Amino acid sequence: MHKKIIISAILLSGIVFADEGGRDVAPAKNTMYLKECASCHFGYQPGLLPKRSWTKMMNNLDNHFGTDASLDPKTKAYITRYLTLNSADSVNAGGYKRSYKINNSISTNQAPLRISQTPYFLREHREVPKQAITQKAVGSLANCTACHTTAFEGSYSERAIKIPNFRNWEEEGDDD
Amino acid sequence: MKKYILGMTLCVISINAGGFNPPMQAYINTLKTQAKQADTGFSDFDAKRGEKIFLSKHIGKRGTEVSCASCHSQNLTSAGKNPVTNKSIKPLAPSANPSRLTEVAEVQKWLKRNFNDVYKREGTAQEKGDVLYYIKSK
Ligand code: HEC
Repeated sequence: MHKKIIISAILLSGIVFADEGGRDVAPAKNTMYLKECASCHFGYQPGLLPKRSWTKMMNNLDNHFGTDASLDPKTKAYITRYLTLNSADSVNAGGYKRSYKINNSISTNQAPLRISQTPYFLREHREVPKQAITQKAVGSLANCTACHTTAFEGSYSERAIKIPNFRNWEEEGDDD
Repeated sequence: MKKYILGMTLCVISINAGGFNPPMQAYINTLKTQAKQADTGFSDFDAKRGEKIFLSKHIGKRGTEVSCASCHSQNLTSAGKNPVTNKSIKPLAPSANPSRLTEVAEVQKWLKRNFNDVYKREGTAQEKGDVLYYIKSK
């Protein structure tokens, strides 16, 4: 009896995570987060990095990828809490397949700061032509919305990809 | 009632037509006091000096050449763009974007960050006042 439940639970969770139609990442809709972080760049969803990465990042805002992004202590504490409570390895990210896959691809002794350098991300983008990324309309792999038209909703599906000045990208990639 | 509405309208117009709102003016006054302490010859902030602070290029925190205009564009009434992230930035000129220079905490936060990014140090009271006068004049 117990065994059956456990086995079906394992199977079920496998199905949820492997479901191609499953949800990608929980959208980032927190007003404070968007105000403070998304004035300089896309509001990356907290479910794109594990908790240890967010903690490390938030402790070094004076030198945030080469810029000063410092916050007053209260705002910093609030945003850190939001990010860590919704990180890729949090219960709140449960059922979101990209969060699961990103988190799963990072070894536990690492705390990457760049989403674009996590193994899952690199795997997913390895076929994107270099010029597609470096062109003016995109700039870098950190500019999610340049190609992922539904990134703000937390949806990174293949169907919603439109690389500027590159046609028919959808037909080439594979959505996993 | 009509008089009240008229008074309100006039009030809003007068805020838009030049001066800073009271909290911002208080901040400017604090900067003036500090500027005077640092330099007894100081009389008032100057938009012309502010323009130079805003447009001149420096080797910034990232180790590359940058100015305030790199993100905010040389035309402050038009939208800017962060050259690193490609994120667009709403115009900095209060004439084009009335919410600018209305919140002291916002202004302080960005001046600290942005001076560090461009000048690799915080701005002095005089530099901050000069650049705020320059932005305000746009
Ligand atoms: C790396 C890009 C970047 C650079 C360089 C930069 N800024 Fe900004 N600045 C921003 C962004 C982003 C904001 C917030 C924009 C928003 O709220 O829409 C901002 C906001 C401001 C504000 C706050 C305006 C308000 O009241 O909302 C001021 C003042 C300002 N910048 C002045 C400067 C000055 C002076 C410099 C040069 C020392 C400078 N900036 C350089 C990106 C930059």
